[in-house]
Amino acid sequence: MYQIIITSVLIVFSPQTFAYLDPGTGSMILQGLIAGIAVAGFTIKTYWYRILSFFGKAKQTSLLEEEEEGSPKKEDEQ
Amino acid sequence: MTLDALPSSFRDPSGFVFAENDRVYRQINNGFAKHFDQFMSSGLYEVLVDKGYLVAHEDVTASNIQRGPDCYRVIAPEVIPYIAYPYEWSFSQLQDAAMLTLRIQTVALQHGYILKDASAYNVQFRHGKPVFIDTLSFEPYVEGVPWVAYRQFCQHFLAPLALMARVDVGLGKLLVTYIDGIPLSLASSLLPLTTRFNYSLQTHIHLHAKMQETYADAAGTPTTAKSDTTKNPRQLSKTGLQAIVESLASAVKSQQWKPPQTEWGDYYDNTNYSDGSTDEKRRLVHDYLSAIDEPLNVVHDLGANTGEFSRIAARHAGLVVSQDIDPVAVERNYRRLVSEPPKNVLPLLQDLYAPSPAIGWGNEERDSFRQRGRCDAILALALVHHLAISNNTPLSRIAGLFAELAQWLVIEFVPKSDSQVARLLQTREDVFPHYNQQGFEEAFSAYFNIVRSEAVAGSERQLYLMRSLKSDLSG
Repeated sequence: MYQIIITSVLIVFSPQTFAYLDPGTGSMILQGLIAGIAVAGFTIKTYWYRILSFFGKAKQTSLLEEEEEGSPKKEDEQ
Repeated sequence: MTLDALPSSFRDPSGFVFAENDRVYRQINNGFAKHFDQFMSSGLYEVLVDKGYLVAHEDVTASNIQRGPDCYRVIAPEVIPYIAYPYEWSFSQLQDAAMLTLRIQTVALQHGYILKDASAYNVQFRHGKPVFIDTLSFEPYVEGVPWVAYRQFCQHFLAPLALMARVDVGLGKLLVTYIDGIPLSLASSLLPLTTRFNYSLQTHIHLHAKMQETYADAAGTPTTAKSDTTKNPRQLSKTGLQAIVESLASAVKSQQWKPPQTEWGDYYDNTNYSDGSTDEKRRLVHDYLSAIDEPLNVVHDLGANTGEFSRIAARHAGLVVSQDIDPVAVERNYRRLVSEPPKNVLPLLQDLYAPSPAIGWGNEERDSFRQRGRCDAILALALVHHLAISNNTPLSRIAGLFAELAQWLVIEFVPKSDSQVARLLQTREDVFPHYNQQGFEEAFSAYFNIVRSEAVAGSERQLYLMRSLKSDLSG
């Protein structure tokens, strides 16, 4: 009963979301599971690129930054 | 007066897309007003448009364009002259569209926003590059909530890319059958065993598929999951989300497809043309297109191969849709766009014997090839013998379809004396008594006026400029 009241209150007072997609429960949970490894991996990659750029070898840490036109990067397989 | 949304625009309650006078508009509903205003004033819109990631729009609320009930604003997004669908893209087009989506997500997160969907249909190609067309896709980011569009991204982008790279490039066409992307369980069963030793694919495809299966019947909506930490103890920090986005980018980038040699690979080396006659053909095509005294907004180059002649047409047209059956050719065509002008070419995959069908609810959400095929001119170079001979299509039927779609036609007749046709006839009965220049002209004259006709010097072929007999082709 207590749980129902809390949940109802939380639903009523939650900001309205227009996330109309069904995200899939499994998909939401998976993200929570892999976040830790993903962060660890990204941290390692960032420091690795910092070391490389110190030696003038790499230009960017994130794949998602603007790249130079026409030069596809070869990524190591994760 | 009731206003009909486009048949594809119904899933998102924040607004819908409609057409008036052949132009596409987007209505923003009252319920989304606050979000939209915040989005526009947050600076994110400007950043995305400046980077060329998102189409710009004009606010036309003040005009007398009709609108539906519950209307907050009406915007007119930049016009995309030809809508193409993900199952018509080459490998790199799909990959670039995926990277664009992730880049937009990254920029959005920097401004406190997040993409509420990650559908491949949100991306179109313009000037040789992918661009996002859904201005309403952005929602304020609430830290802690996992990304609701993660599943959709994996199904629309990562699964097809992995299948195209690791199994067969033709699997991109599965997207026709699965309008919401390739189901992860299917992708998982089709991918080779070795992909289970690849962290990205094992996580985002295989494990993801398993998770979907395990929790298929479990309850859980974004609203409750967000606030009820006992039900969903695994909340996701912003850093975690950004790391997952990076991980997806890495996964997308690491799918690589090296186009093998196909029968079309060395096409321009192995054909009938002496070097001189290719130049001759180029000159003639350029001549014919110059002779057309009407504006050519959209031209379709059918059987375009790597877009050699599409690029000539591009000098005369607003946009050339450069379509071919061979994924290798389309891929090469697209890669050329990166490094060289002209950019008003849109390479697409299309099999004229299995052209894109109309799919979705009521077969109306995504238009068929034929529905989108209306254009100002068609180029049908080095094509007709494949249709008439390899595929036994009567010349009159070919003429009929072309006449329905376009006002003007630049077409090359390839006779039996041509080595390409001789090769086609080598292993089969010649059941084509009317396949000759006279038969060709007779068949086409029923639908077209032959305006110009010249032999391509240095080859056996004849190039024609024709005008459809139908006087009214607007639509």
